[in-house]
Amino acid sequence: MDVWFVGNRSALFWLALKSGFWTVLTLGFYRFWMKTRLRRWYWSAIRPGGHPLEYVGDPWEKLLGFFIAVVILTFYIGIVNLLLMFASFSLFQSSVLGYSASVVGVIPIWFYAQYRARRYVLARTRWRGVRFGLEKGAWGYAWRALTHWLVTICSLGLLWPRMTFYLEKYKTDRTLFGSGRLKQGGRWVMLYRAAIPFAVAMMFAGGLVVWLIWIDPLLPDGDAEFDEILNGIGLAADVGIIPFTWERPLRLFLFIPAMIAMVYGAVHYRFVSKRILADHKHAQGVQMRSRLNGLRISVIYVLGTTIAYTILLFGILGVLGVAAALLGFDAMIEAQIGTADPLGDLPQWLSIAIIAALYLSVFLFWSVLHHVFVTFPLMRHMAITLSLNNVAGLSQISQRARDEFAEAEGFAEALDLGAAI
Amino acid sequence: MTQPPDLPVGTMQDAPDGRIFDGRDSGYFDGDAPVPRSVTLMVDTAAGVLEIGLPDSVAAGVRWPLDEIRQLDDTAGQQGVILRWTGDPLARLHLADTLVLRHMPHLTRRAPPKGRGRLAAWAFAAVAAVAVQIGVLVPLLADRLATFVPPAGERALGEVTFGQIRQALAGTGLPPLPVCEGAQGLAALEKMLVSLGVERETDAAIKVFVLDHEMVNAFALPGGYVVFFRGMIDAALSPNEIAAVLAHEVGHVENRDPTRHALRSAGPIGILGLLLGDFAGGAAVLFLTEQLISANYAQGAESGADEFAYAALEDAGVSPAALGDMFDRLRAEYGDTDGIVSHFVSHPTLTSRIERSRAAAQPDRSYRDILTDEDWASLQAVCD
Repeated sequence: MDVWFVGNRSALFWLALKSGFWTVLTLGFYRFWMKTRLRRWYWSAIRPGGHPLEYVGDPWEKLLGFFIAVVILTFYIGIVNLLLMFASFSLFQSSVLGYSASVVGVIPIWFYAQYRARRYVLARTRWRGVRFGLEKGAWGYAWRALTHWLVTICSLGLLWPRMTFYLEKYKTDRTLFGSGRLKQGGRWVMLYRAAIPFAVAMMFAGGLVVWLIWIDPLLPDGDAEFDEILNGIGLAADVGIIPFTWERPLRLFLFIPAMIAMVYGAVHYRFVSKRILADHKHAQGVQMRSRLNGLRISVIYVLGTTIAYTILLFGILGVLGVAAALLGFDAMIEAQIGTADPLGDLPQWLSIAIIAALYLSVFLFWSVLHHVFVTFPLMRHMAITLSLNNVAGLSQISQRARDEFAEAEGFAEALDLGAAI
Repeated sequence: MTQPPDLPVGTMQDAPDGRIFDGRDSGYFDGDAPVPRSVTLMVDTAAGVLEIGLPDSVAAGVRWPLDEIRQLDDTAGQQGVILRWTGDPLARLHLADTLVLRHMPHLTRRAPPKGRGRLAAWAFAAVAAVAVQIGVLVPLLADRLATFVPPAGERALGEVTFGQIRQALAGTGLPPLPVCEGAQGLAALEKMLVSLGVERETDAAIKVFVLDHEMVNAFALPGGYVVFFRGMIDAALSPNEIAAVLAHEVGHVENRDPTRHALRSAGPIGILGLLLGDFAGGAAVLFLTEQLISANYAQGAESGADEFAYAALEDAGVSPAALGDMFDRLRAEYGDTDGIVSHFVSHPTLTSRIERSRAAAQPDRSYRDILTDEDWASLQAVCD
């Protein structure tokens, strides 16, 4: 059974623009509706076997969930932060420690919220009239995630695939479609395949560092201390004098391809690991298959982001052009160098409002363009490369009960996790 | 890559009474099994129902009242629609032949939001929680806790902050801004502190520094640090004005304002960040609101320090109006801030403070100068 993807960019563009506009106009309160409507649209575009997914989430419940999260989190953040700050002043005489402790304190809640948000979204997703679901287990997820991160950091990232696998397995094994339970098969070592490009890029960058510092030093008087070099760079930036002689400094440009390769490696790992994991997911004998292409995903990312930035840039230039035309070019220049103030006649609140509106529209357009040129093609590629085999098992699945969920994705919303749609 | 077709289009069959519609390519989902069922569609206009027949299934067909059928919103793709019946939250009809739709009058009618009372209650609770936190709980706790910060901790905090300020004003890569060390000038400052009745020569004694910078300002830091900029001394016309500013800053130290402020700054910003969520550009609003809140805190602190200064000056035999004179000079240089803007800066409007300081001076009392002309001259030369 293939997964189809219907819908075109222009419909998405207008939907995102319209709802984004209302979001700006309502000082952000419409964002719950915006998110709901965009999800409805994306979900209905993804059609396994020709039948669209359906998103039945309700903006009002999102608003309610947001309020609930605010009530709980204000006390946590306000009081706990204050006490941490006090302890940090009293015991360590600095505020840095207090701030870092309060950030660290939010991390478990962050994972918790991530799982709860997933549970909410799955509980409000249906296909062919049957609900998806995710079992309870957010705290279990939070401490597992913390432990896996700790292990990953201690192993200098070598065990990253292990973390990816086990966290995904935790979530997948608790995912349900009607009465059918999803299972994550496979082993964690299979994900190393996805990490190959990143590993190669890392080795390239590491080799470059070794070459430039030890084998054929960039600074031949190699006994210079690291501190001195740093000071030298600072001095060069401030005064424009380079206090030491570089040996073929053009070799530094090799770091550019190294960086690009690392970014590619990271994107490749993120999506190809999803493919490998998907290939090992099954429920009721139904088997998932993904033919996702890591290179293509990267191209979508790079091209999409570039196009979106370019359009945004031209848009801003266009606005400036209109302003110049309205005010006259000379007035613009004079305003810039401060000899005249063309907006000076306007009342202050009006000029503040104009600037705020321009500022918010940049964000609005960025999110709209991102939807159209990045999220849309990414979703499309992921959808159409996915297929389901052995779908006979579907007939044994029946409906599951509704997961009432008062706080919706409130915590995720409040903690700024909602960056994905 | 070729796209599979959208939900396919059907054509209306030529039924004599026009009430039978094409059910080919349409599908019914009963809300239990994820299996599409083929349908026959008939509109019974007399009864006002859509009859959905399920020819391949043992189950009988279903009847949906026409005015209770709704269409799903925000659906991608041009062809076909998905219908639901308000009486059954789960069943769906994926309809290929959209000609049926004209028999359904309320396709887009929305259900009223459920649980409005509950929503309002939580909304109120959220607003109240934030207001109580920012307006009452955090300030109260900060004020209480500030008195428990050990003096050594406060002192170290002040020292670190002082170092950071000196470095920031000097610019990166340069040595920190020098402290003025004219011995006679510092001795004159010391005399001033004694005259103002400030506790000296103990561990907790206030330390006064002059920084070699043209800014016309002075500030207090946790741990009893009072810092003048040279510009302030240059701008003063008499030692009394410097004494007035000094007394004001000492007032901040006595009230532990710098420590309270540092503690308070921890809470509200996090709470506000939470409120705005991931709303585009929330950071700017956040910054403005934070400014407003901290300014409101600070306006109270400024008035408190002013009150302290009036009393200390009065006791030292110096006219409290000196503070007003100094502010007058500041106003001449920078202008006053009135209206909206005054809420965004930490000092109450200068005009009102000048008036209050002049009112604090007793008209029938004869005041003296706090320093001799000679001491004043050496204070003015403290940075040379």
